[in-house]
Amino acid sequence: MYLGIDVGGTHTDAVALDETGIKAQVKVKTDQSDLLASVNQALREILRTVKPDGVLQLNLSTTLSTNAIVQGTTEDVGMLVIPGPGISAHEFMLCRDYHVLPGAIDHRGTETDRLDEAKARAAIDACRASGVRVFGCVGKFSTRNPLHENTLRQSLGPSGGQGPDYVTLGHELGGRLNFPRRLATAYFNCAVWRVFNAFADAVEKSLAELGLGHVRVNTLKADGGTFPLSQARRMPVQSIFSGPAASVMGIIALCDITRDSVILDIGGTTTDIAVFVDGQPLVENDGINIGSHPTLVRALKVRSIGIGGDSAINVLGEAVRVGPNRLGPSLADSVPAGAALPAGARPTLIDALNVTGACAHGNVEASRAGLAEFAARHSIKPDMLAGQAVAAAAEAIYASTQELLAEINDKPVYTIHELLEGRRVAPGRVYLMGGPAAAMKEAVRQRFELFTVVPEHFGVANAIGAALTRNTASLELFADTEKGVMFIPALRHRENVPRTYSLKDAERDAMNHMLAHLSEMGVFADRDNAQVTHASSFNMVDEGRTTGKNIRVKCQIKPGVAFTLNGQPAVPPGGRVAGHSLKLATGQLADKAGERG
Amino acid sequence: MHGAKHSLGIILFPAFDWSISPTHPEREERLLYTQDQLKEEGLFDIEGVDEHKPGVAGREDVERAHFCFPEVESVATRSHLVAAGGTITAADLVMTGRHKRAFALVRPPGHHAMKVVQGSRGFCNINTEAVMIEHLREKYGVKRIAVVDTDCHHGDGTQDIYWHDPDVLFISLHQDGRTLYPGSGFPTECGGPGALGRTVNIPLPPGTGDEGYLAVMERIVLPILKDFAPEIVVNSAGQDNHFTDPITNMNLTAQGYARMTELLKPDIAVLEGGYAIQGALPYVNLGIALSLAGLDYTGVREPAFDAVKHRQRPDLADYIDRLCDTIPNVYFHPPTEHKDGFVTRQETGEWFVRHKNIYYDTDDITEAQTEELFLCGSCRGLLKIVSRTTKNPACLGIEVPIGACDACRSLGYSIYEEAQVKEGYRFAQFINRRDKEYQRHGF
Repeated sequence: MYLGIDVGGTHTDAVALDETGIKAQVKVKTDQSDLLASVNQALREILRTVKPDGVLQLNLSTTLSTNAIVQGTTEDVGMLVIPGPGISAHEFMLCRDYHVLPGAIDHRGTETDRLDEAKARAAIDACRASGVRVFGCVGKFSTRNPLHENTLRQSLGPSGGQGPDYVTLGHELGGRLNFPRRLATAYFNCAVWRVFNAFADAVEKSLAELGLGHVRVNTLKADGGTFPLSQARRMPVQSIFSGPAASVMGIIALCDITRDSVILDIGGTTTDIAVFVDGQPLVENDGINIGSHPTLVRALKVRSIGIGGDSAINVLGEAVRVGPNRLGPSLADSVPAGAALPAGARPTLIDALNVTGACAHGNVEASRAGLAEFAARHSIKPDMLAGQAVAAAAEAIYASTQELLAEINDKPVYTIHELLEGRRVAPGRVYLMGGPAAAMKEAVRQRFELFTVVPEHFGVANAIGAALTRNTASLELFADTEKGVMFIPALRHRENVPRTYSLKDAERDAMNHMLAHLSEMGVFADRDNAQVTHASSFNMVDEGRTTGKNIRVKCQIKPGVAFTLNGQPAVPPGGRVAGHSLKLATGQLADKAGERG
Repeated sequence: MHGAKHSLGIILFPAFDWSISPTHPEREERLLYTQDQLKEEGLFDIEGVDEHKPGVAGREDVERAHFCFPEVESVATRSHLVAAGGTITAADLVMTGRHKRAFALVRPPGHHAMKVVQGSRGFCNINTEAVMIEHLREKYGVKRIAVVDTDCHHGDGTQDIYWHDPDVLFISLHQDGRTLYPGSGFPTECGGPGALGRTVNIPLPPGTGDEGYLAVMERIVLPILKDFAPEIVVNSAGQDNHFTDPITNMNLTAQGYARMTELLKPDIAVLEGGYAIQGALPYVNLGIALSLAGLDYTGVREPAFDAVKHRQRPDLADYIDRLCDTIPNVYFHPPTEHKDGFVTRQETGEWFVRHKNIYYDTDDITEAQTEELFLCGSCRGLLKIVSRTTKNPACLGIEVPIGACDACRSLGYSIYEEAQVKEGYRFAQFINRRDKEYQRHGF
């Protein structure tokens, strides 16, 4: 038995299921001030029908880290920053204890300027004096050579006691290049570290009390995968914005998607829009933004807009609009049967859907009365207002979807092969999920003019997605055979390699290290879903002589679900980068071009 | 992070699968570290700075700029067409208002490719800037365009293409041709009979540094640009003036490049040469990009930079000073007599004739060319080129220019038809810019 819990902004959804289907499902209101209580309540409800012994795994998607950041309940972080030459690091000042240190590593990982250790020690002392207990050490090109970050780590001393409680080193966040994102990601990882760990402790305690102490606990990530709670304790920033990913994975478990499609998860406050290409979800090329800060946190490509069942209806002049503001729950949900409407009651999208007859949710009479009153105030017929509101919601969702598609079709690609293989994404179907999904189906179908599907269990698809999402992992390998070094930043693994080290060796090493790392964490290392997503090797030449190879490899465990509930055999769906299969961009191809030149 | 003051679109096409040969300076690795640096700096996360996918130039895009013999596909690989397509994308981004400025960081380069293309010379097959300029004219009707070529080598290809064009001002700053490939680019080369003073060459002595380049920019280039008042300024942004470049002898720094760009304010910059791929390009490209976007570039410094070592030699200042005094005359007081050819009288009327011998160093091809311009007096004039090489027998190119008069147009057609009947040419190409007609013969 698998449990999935998705703690969302409005509701906490939970399901228990196995290969034969859903055994229990609950929806409880989320208590934003006490997420643990919401998790516990959902678990207790589930355990009314499901025996604890049969539960193997719990996958948890929470807004905890997001909330901590939004509400400003994060802790102060000491940032030790080594930018080297380029854009001034003061542009990225994230916090009070932000120290820019002299030192530089270049794009090949060569130290071009020594780290000023005296200044580093002074910066550490200054942080300590202001009570800072967690540190982020981030250098430009530390993913090519972590020397300076490692030196800073040593200067900070061992964890605990006088030393720091926790340290994030920039290169541990993965091998991708983007110094400002590395800075922001390290910062947020430190900032939510304590609050996440306290929550993890509490969840583990609750599980033990509920007789679920034996259960494997995973945390959802935004990239459509999970990672073990023990790992999440080290990299809590990865647990951010996992909600939309849970929904996307839910639709994979519920529907057999094979072509270009649009996925709409219409919730209470927002609608999440995702696009599938050939039945596969798209991945953000870089990473999500936290606040105004771009980060390295990988995510499925999902656009959220402020339109949901609880979005208020507005009339501006002639135009009827829905959202983006949410003024409490709908009248259908908030007005008890037979009770009078509160003064100035504001109908929402759900109320409009009740009036058009698209659904009969909660107190339909309250919806009618509220809409009639609001319509009278704006001298419109209630039916017309309701119809226009629903159409406006569909229109706004459609417009955002078109924007997202335009953005996807405008992606830069690098090699000729990708360019030639590039094709326009043209969705042929729309899949709807979330509370108001069935009610919105007709309006969406009319606007999109596409075949529209609302799967069974559409209301808890997010929790189903959470329950069935598999572990994912990814890493980057960088090798420079002139220097004789191979480096996997995410694993902090650096070893010497011979001059004969080849792209093939690098691909094999990247794969093996990734699978070994998963095994060490006690996760099933799924070789079938492991893939190399990028592999390139460049000959480095100096004064007309080849001096070595510059090799880059990326590999990942594809996101996917443990099994599906659509009656189809479990096809492993892979997340893919917007764009197309990544081809080798090696020197071998060049010879052909050279002959022509 | 501050947003860009001038929104900037960057087209990055490193052509990671194309090289002239595995150890050639123009090889796959060339923009690798630049790409790394721009990514690591987070350049594309800056508000107002976006990366865009390059388009692919079509056959006619190329034929608007070149006579390709035997045909476009045989002289340009897919990578060349994407590099040229990248410049077209850059032009579109600026002309549609999507961005204020654009930087086409593309390779292979193009500024040594002349009007006729029979192969590769100076690592260039098709002239990416010229393809872009003709696109600007064809699609957007842009008339006056200035090209400022800051590559260390003389932009002889661009000069050749616009030799007779008074509406395209071509200014090239380069290491003196007596000391570097291609050996041309002297102040006396100043345009054809109808465009005298619209080609301005500024040969700089080896060792010229930031000081000299900035002086030339302020005292020669900017005053000329101010007078010419172009609608679009294009910068052929070669980066081989850098003090670490392996195949040139100049002393420009990343800061100097950024400052030069700041002064020039180009609408579109296009990468040309630059072969110090580790020590210079990542920093120079970053400096240029930041400068184009109106962002602070003062922190960009190449690791090998040494303020004392890379200062310009004091004795060069006097020489450059004299250049600054005299070269503006090329534009402001151009000679009235052309010296590069002669006028012949034929039954059709007066023709201006130039004979050229061109060596395609990269491909080892020698070309003998006769270029004839019909001096009709009412338009730019019909252009007729006959080209013979060690590879191809005689080939004919005829161009009816944009805004051609009726006489030049019908003369063009009759010469082309006559050429087909007589079969004197192995390949013939007919470009009618006035009616957008493109014909080929001989396949």
